[in-house]
This record gives sequence, structure tokens and C-alpha cells, in this order.
Amino acid sequence: MVSIPVSKKSEESLVKMVNIHKWFGKVHALKGVDFEAKHSEIVGLVGDNGAGKSTLIKVLSGFHLANEGEIYFEGKKVSITSSSEARRLGIETVYQEQALAPHMSISRNIFMGREPVRSLGFINKKVMNEESMEALESIELHLRSPDTLIAMLSGGERQGVAIARALHFKAKLVILDEPTIALSIKEAGQVLEFIKQLKKEEIAVVFITHNLYHVFPVAERFVILNRGETVADVKKEDTSIEKLSELIIKELSTGKAVSK
Amino acid sequence: MKFTRRFLSYRSSSVFLIFIGLLLLFTFFSRYRFSGRGNIEVLLALGSEFSIVALGVGMLMICGEFDLSIGSILVFCSFIFIRLFEMGVNLFLAGFIILIVGALLGILNGIITVKGLIPSFITTLGMMMFWRGLTLLLSRGYTRPFNPEVSPFFCHILTGEIGGIIPVQVIWFVVFGVILGMLLHFHKFGNWVYATGDNKLAARAMGINTDRVKIICFMIVGILCAFVAMMQIIRVSTFSSRAGDGWELKAIAASVVGGTALMGGRGSMAGIFLGVLIISVIENGLVVLRIPYFWTYVVFGLVIIFSVLSSRYLERKKLTYD
Repeated sequence: MVSIPVSKKSEESLVKMVNIHKWFGKVHALKGVDFEAKHSEIVGLVGDNGAGKSTLIKVLSGFHLANEGEIYFEGKKVSITSSSEARRLGIETVYQEQALAPHMSISRNIFMGREPVRSLGFINKKVMNEESMEALESIELHLRSPDTLIAMLSGGERQGVAIARALHFKAKLVILDEPTIALSIKEAGQVLEFIKQLKKEEIAVVFITHNLYHVFPVAERFVILNRGETVADVKKEDTSIEKLSELIIKELSTGKAVSK
Repeated sequence: MKFTRRFLSYRSSSVFLIFIGLLLLFTFFSRYRFSGRGNIEVLLALGSEFSIVALGVGMLMICGEFDLSIGSILVFCSFIFIRLFEMGVNLFLAGFIILIVGALLGILNGIITVKGLIPSFITTLGMMMFWRGLTLLLSRGYTRPFNPEVSPFFCHILTGEIGGIIPVQVIWFVVFGVILGMLLHFHKFGNWVYATGDNKLAARAMGINTDRVKIICFMIVGILCAFVAMMQIIRVSTFSSRAGDGWELKAIAASVVGGTALMGGRGSMAGIFLGVLIISVIENGLVVLRIPYFWTYVVFGLVIIFSVLSSRYLERKKLTYD
């Protein structure tokens, strides 16, 4: 039997969330969820609306504090109390609507909040423009000028800019929150290519979606959430798109039955 | 042709054309009284007072907030200044204190807006009434004399003339324009201002403290109000409780004419600078043309609507051509 050489690193867990609980008032949004992503692994986090995907990810990116549970990053226990703390660890999140400022240029968006400066805080535009173009090239996104406004880009290109930004700032884990939701089929395909580029750069990706057809071709493992609980955690080779969607539908209907 | 296309692709260009058009119009129709030396001096000295404050308001609008209280902050600062003068405080010290007072009033606007989660329209509407009311209460509405002889040097810095021709006020206007322009377009703080106005959630997610950005913008407006309060008092040698009356909407109008978006995130210092000049020129030009003052606001209204329509049109064109 020929074994494919796997670097030891890729078997280690990059981030591990254990027994995460989150309440919003009386609503128990996360009921002891376990979640793990390994080095340069693409994980699909799937579930219907209100399943707890976004809440889980907001805990990981420092927007919410979990009421209970532990987070380990690169084997060390961490407490992620703010988004800047998450970013310091190397966790970058790309949100649906919140990623970019539409009337600002590409380079100003990429370096938003982390501008390269010369003396006295004045922006070093040359460095900013050059590095922006480099970052875009690294995910195979070819745009004409770093001065183009985001508003002039297509939806897929916008996601690309946000992903390139995460890449440029040496993220170890990139969380993509519904990156294909409002895109045409062609644009969604473009975003999937960007995600493959991230993997090439040895960056782990968490791809959140409720569209199995978008996530299935790229992800290596799938975590399915339902009503705040993990209902499945399977590798791609052990499942199929039919099995997964069956799982979501089946669990949903039993979920309804339980709640009655 | 290429040059024209490029020139028109800047939003400020259309504002610049309107500005030049107005200058020519006023010059010819006033039979060159408009471009006479006397009038230019008046225009530059008086116009600069309002213009300096309006520059700050424009920047505040780019970060997505309004300030309706500028006139009232200004008059309150004037009052404190005249009180300090009456108490015989050294004018340089008094000037310093006034700038601090202006900054604090601006910060107060900012803190109430961002921490209380109130639209700044409401916060500053309240503050507009409060500070004007308090000033009227304390001054009983009387005017008070100011004597520039106390410290000619101090007064010269704010209202003198350079070479006996150019009013210092206009130098200050340009200096503030350049400083704010540098800050807005070349400094990282400017990037934060745009990001805050354009997409606050994105700015926050990228670690920008949007609350602090807004508070600083409010503070800058406050400081400019305080600065102009002193300028005005020295120029007219009187404290008047009507100082700065009606400036708040005119300042917003100037920014809008200059291409600033009401919702924030769009605009430029060059545009704001020209917008402010246009408002000043219209106000002055109509008087020189001997058109009754009451026409001023009719013309303001038309200019605002026309300029926004034209910049919209150019912007749409730009988006389709690129």
C-alpha cells in the first residue's frame, strides 16, 4: 500500500473548542459544542439558519464570550476576549456584509486599521499599493489597480479582496461566514478557487454555509450543527452530499418533534 | 480630451467649475465691484470665519455624523472669552483656555452620541439650544465691548493683515484646510475616518476604535469653533449673543455642495474647501450685486440641489466608463 506522505503538522489540531455553551438571556444558543480545525484543513461548518454556526464563530473570533467551555489554539489554552485578540493569535474572520468599505480603494481596505506608516502616522502609500497587489496576486486575483473602489468590483472579487487581506496579515485560520451567499454561480466558483489558494498557503479555513453544493467540493471535513448541538463531524471520504443533506433534514425534523 | 475626462473624473472638479462660474458671473454682473480690492478683502476676512468651522464639519460628516451645535459652541466660547477679557486675564492664556473649552464641548457631543447611541443630529440639536440658551441667560442678551488694544500682538495673529492686503484669516483658512486635508487623505487617522463613515462594522471588525474616531472629529469641530469665536470677537471688537447664528445648516450645505455624502464615507477636503468657498462667495456676491439679502437662501437652495444632481450624474458616468 502506498501511503501519501502527510506532514506531521497537518495532523495536529490548530484550534480546538471544547464544550462551548452560550446563552442569550434564556436562549441556549450553543449547548456544549465541540469543534476542531487542523493545520491547513478546510472545514465546512454546515447547518440551517439559527443552528448556531454564526454564534460559534463569533465566540472564536472574539465577538462573543462563551459562558462555558475552553478554547485551545496551537495546543495552548486561550481566552479570546476581543476581535483584536483573535487577530493577534492569527484568526481572521471574513463576514458577509461587514468586511469592506465600498467607497474606499482596494488598498485602503486591505490595510484598514493596520496602515503601513512612515513618520508621524502618515500612510506609506507606495508600500500599501505594492503589498495590496501582491496579496491579490497570491490568491490569483488579477485586478488592474489598487486604487479601484470596492464598489466597482463584482461580488466574487470583493470576497477575494477580503480573503487576500486575511492572507496578507499571516492568518493561520480564516473563517469565512457565508462567502458565497449573494453570488452568481460563476462568482461563487471564483471564491472556491480563492479558498483552494488559502489551503496552498497552509492556512486553515472554516467555511460556514447552508449550501452543501458550495462547500462540498472544497472542504475536507464537515461539522453539522443543529439547534446548538453538533450532530455530525465527518470526513469527506466517509460521506456524500446526499448523506449530509439527509442528515440536516432528518435532524431538523426530529428536532422539531423534540421541541413539541 | 483625455485631460478633460480625467479632470471630470474627480468629484471635486464639478465643484471647481461651479466655483469659477460663480466668480465670473459675479465679476461681470457687478461691473467688477465684486473683484475690487475692498470687496475681496471683506470676502476673505468675513468668509474665512465661517469657512474654518465648516471645514471641520465636513470632516465630521465624512465619518458619518452631524454637528448642529457649531453656532452655539461658538457663541458660548465667545462669552467665556469676553468674561476672561473682562477679568483681565492675559489674552494668550485666555485663548488657550478657550481652545480647551471648545475641545471639551466637542468631546461632550461625541461622548453623548457614541456612548448614548443617540443620532448626532439629536445630540447636537439639543446642544445647539442648550449652549445658545445658556449664553443668553448668562449674558442677558447684551452685547459687550472688547478692546483689541490690550494685546495688539495677539489680535494681529488672528485678524491682522499680511503686507497690508491679505487678511490673516484667509491664511488660517488655508492652513486649516491643508492640515485637515493631510490628516484626511494621507494620515492613517483619515483612513479610519473614511472607514468609520463608510462601513462602521467593517472598521470595527478591523480593530478601528470607531467611537474614538468620532469623538476626535467632534473635538476638532469644537476647537475650530473656539478659534473662530476669538477671531470674530477681535474683528468686531464686541461680544454678541447672536454670533454664529445659522451657521450649522450653512456648514452642512457647504459640505454637501462640496460632494460630501450625508450618510458619510464619501467626500474630500478639496471638495469641502471649494464648497465652503462657494457658500461664502454666493453670500458676498449677491450683496455686491445689490440683490436683496433675502434672495441669498433662495440661491443657496438652488445651488445645493444643482450641485448634488450634477455630481451624481458625473459619478454615474464614471462608474459606467471605468
